[in-house]
Amino acid sequence: MDDHGPGLEPDLDEGSIVARAQDGDLAAFEHLVLTYQSRLFRLAYRMLNDRGDAEDIVQETLTTSWRALPMLADVDAFGGWIYRLATNKSLDLLRKRSAHAEDIIDSDDMDTMPGARACAVSARWDPAHEAEWSAEQNGLTALLSTLPPAQRACWLLREMHGRSYAEIGVTLKISPTAVRGTLARARHQIAEGMSQWR
Amino acid sequence: MAIDDIPRLGCGRSIDRIWATIDRPPTAHEEKCGQCQTARTQLRGLSEATRSLRESDLHNPALKPRPGVKNAIMDVARAEVRQGSRILLRSADTGITEISEQALSSLIRSAAAAIPGVHPRRCRIEIRAAAASLAGEDHPAGTTVMATDAGPRLIVNLRVAAAPGIVIPLAAEALRHEISSAIPAGVGIGAGTVNIIVEDLYDV
Repeated sequence: MDDHGPGLEPDLDEGSIVARAQDGDLAAFEHLVLTYQSRLFRLAYRMLNDRGDAEDIVQETLTTSWRALPMLADVDAFGGWIYRLATNKSLDLLRKRSAHAEDIIDSDDMDTMPGARACAVSARWDPAHEAEWSAEQNGLTALLSTLPPAQRACWLLREMHGRSYAEIGVTLKISPTAVRGTLARARHQIAEGMSQWR
Repeated sequence: MAIDDIPRLGCGRSIDRIWATIDRPPTAHEEKCGQCQTARTQLRGLSEATRSLRESDLHNPALKPRPGVKNAIMDVARAEVRQGSRILLRSADTGITEISEQALSSLIRSAAAAIPGVHPRRCRIEIRAAAASLAGEDHPAGTTVMATDAGPRLIVNLRVAAAPGIVIPLAAEALRHEISSAIPAGVGIGAGTVNIIVEDLYDV
């Protein structure tokens, strides 16, 4: 007998998979890791512009989730919860970085937007796989790096990951209305920057 | 701090409103307003770049964690696996046989998965001492009983999600039958009481 079952039924809903992982079912948890690790990596990488840091965020987030899973009351809330963990870990890391860096962006001040300058792109930029990208995408990611961290998180969660205003609000501890305002300012800032690029 | 404020153009239009309508033809105002036209052009460019970046990131093989990351996560999970309490299956002079609640739950879920339209979820197993069970409830009629009287009395509480439209009493009976057969067949003790809790309906 296999201790963890013969694998998962192909049509299993995510709520049932989460519930099984809560019971310590490793096959179910592995399925969740496979489902979410790349999404969380893309989020963390675009937040931090560093592969190693992004991998650390993925690993810490999913390890934390394993330990805390039994306390999750609503199995259908897993996706939002795991995104919240990863976002806040990324924001924490940026705060730690900014405490050591010269070009500090105040992560709590979402009103103050620095000028959208391509030269503000992080020194950790990885040219290897960015090289093949279109200039437009490079421009967008460069401008994204100039946004204050919370604003960047807001834009990424909505535009790249399709998370709801309500969920983003809970993650960033702001109201859904404030999420809308933050997003609008992020879009405005990026759009202005892109037009200067052209 | 006016964090709820949405940026507005000089003409009074909000960026948010323009964003929401960039795929539609311009309004009468927007056709005449230079600021709106510029904003529409910029935001359309952003919308296209956003879509393009989303697709590109999604399919970019470089934007995935290395396999070592998943392995490290699963190593921690395995090391810290919650096995629950242990259930004594057999005790003899030659030694005892026990099973973890976690392993028995897996067996129960595997059995339950045979019933169509039901997704087994969390499983809690309570154990009553053998002596109490003899004085307690009857064994379900028709179940295969193997060494039940000598073993512990199980109370299985299985939560499930059901497909919409399923006849729950029939599905619950089928589940109970499947589980009541699988436990004696797999671990050699009686299934005792099998409680089924339908906690959710899943989308098909």
